[in-house]
Amino acid sequence: MRKKKIIVKNVSKSFKNKVVLNKLNLDVYESESLSIIGESGSGKSILTRCIVGLLKYDDGSIDFGKLNNINTLSDKEKMNYMSKFGILFQNSALLDSLNIRENLKFAYKKNSLKKILNEVGLPQSILEKYPSELSVGMQKRVGLARAILKKPEVLILDEPTTGLDPIIARQINLLIKNLVRKKKITTITVTHDMESVYEFADYVAFLKNGIIEWYGKARKINQSKNSSMIKFIKGIT
Amino acid sequence: MTRLLSSALALSKRLLNLIFSFFYSIGEIVDFFLKCVKYFITEKFYFNIFLKQFIKIGFNSLPVVGLTSIFTGMVLALQSYTGFSRFSAESAIPNVVVLSITRELAPVLAGLMVAGRSGAAIAAEIGTMKVTEQIDALKTLSTNPFNYLIIPRILAGIISLPILVIVGDIIGVLGGYLICVNLLNFNPTVYLQNTYNFVQFLDVFSGLVKASVFGFLITFMGCYHGFNANGGAQGVGQSTTYSVVSSSILILLMNYIITSFFFRL
Repeated sequence: MRKKKIIVKNVSKSFKNKVVLNKLNLDVYESESLSIIGESGSGKSILTRCIVGLLKYDDGSIDFGKLNNINTLSDKEKMNYMSKFGILFQNSALLDSLNIRENLKFAYKKNSLKKILNEVGLPQSILEKYPSELSVGMQKRVGLARAILKKPEVLILDEPTTGLDPIIARQINLLIKNLVRKKKITTITVTHDMESVYEFADYVAFLKNGIIEWYGKARKINQSKNSSMIKFIKGIT
Repeated sequence: MTRLLSSALALSKRLLNLIFSFFYSIGEIVDFFLKCVKYFITEKFYFNIFLKQFIKIGFNSLPVVGLTSIFTGMVLALQSYTGFSRFSAESAIPNVVVLSITRELAPVLAGLMVAGRSGAAIAAEIGTMKVTEQIDALKTLSTNPFNYLIIPRILAGIISLPILVIVGDIIGVLGGYLICVNLLNFNPTVYLQNTYNFVQFLDVFSGLVKASVFGFLITFMGCYHGFNANGGAQGVGQSTTYSVVSSSILILLMNYIITSFFFRL
């Protein structure tokens, strides 16, 4: 029996005169991995930022478990709410004035640091290094470690393979697949990379013109008759 | 006639937009300030970050402030001599130097130098963090960016600027002393005696009050513009420019306001 974790109801968001999300509806289910795909500028990242509470939506509501309409949360409640998410940002967003140990300190519980570095395939020697001394792939791994260290209820992956060469991208995809399957964590992935979708998505939502144009099981994505999505997939793969 | 009317309408629309955006900016700045106060009172204070910023803003600015002060003191002594020697009032030079340095030049020049050095650096650092989503990352890691980034910097500015100004006062007076004693043949003991006898507590105190206010303005404007940066490298550059320009103008404005306040005392 699937259990709803996040309910997005008629959510709209505009910037000046540009409508990015247009009465969008989407359900995210517990312990499932959902990939949101769509062209650049289709509003994928805006949608996840609204879900996390980093952006306020103009209309509609987003419910998270027993929390209704997260737009109405106070500053303190919003802070607690945000801590339920672990996020791997597009550019990893590691604090560049701090070394990796200090970066991970923001999230780690005692003694779990060694274990988590093993899980993401990083040696302990990187702990004293600064983000600028690491490759983009390593930064992504550290970002992923930071995201899962605090044992979040929902993991958000924003373009996890962007800027990586195909070999490293494949490694990151496999790493995420293993983590998601092992931890059975609710995951929302925003991606352009169809490899990521095939690798670890249970469900896929195709976003276009501010609405979800197609939603279904990842393994049925190629059977879809939605012309926009077929065009999008063919253009990418 | 219609063309004249439409251009008058367009002009008034632009003027209204300008007024609206001015008041909107004021509102945003006030909101930012109130948030700083609220989170300072209600949430965690990062003492380590404060110390780091204190060293960055205060200690690391010592060479710049010291050099500015010594040259200012030296120039002031020379220029005063040019004027005062015309009516045989050379003995007033130590008084003019110490008064100008403590009340006016040390705080204002230190403020402007720190605005260019540290204010710009604060805006650039926080602006870069904003456009690279580091501030968003902090939020999701249960860390309030106001407490972690903004408040320690503002407090470091408020506390370090007066200390810099005290050092600037001493070095500035020393600059005047060096010129008067070595170049203008003043008696060193008389010069120092004159300086010491003439200067009053209020002269130094008013300079320190100014320094504290300037320290607040520099760090606050740096943080505010950095925190509101957007649009990548260009946005960060713009926030740095805005930070230096706005804090420099505010320093000069507040200098007048504080001077006129102490003038009445």
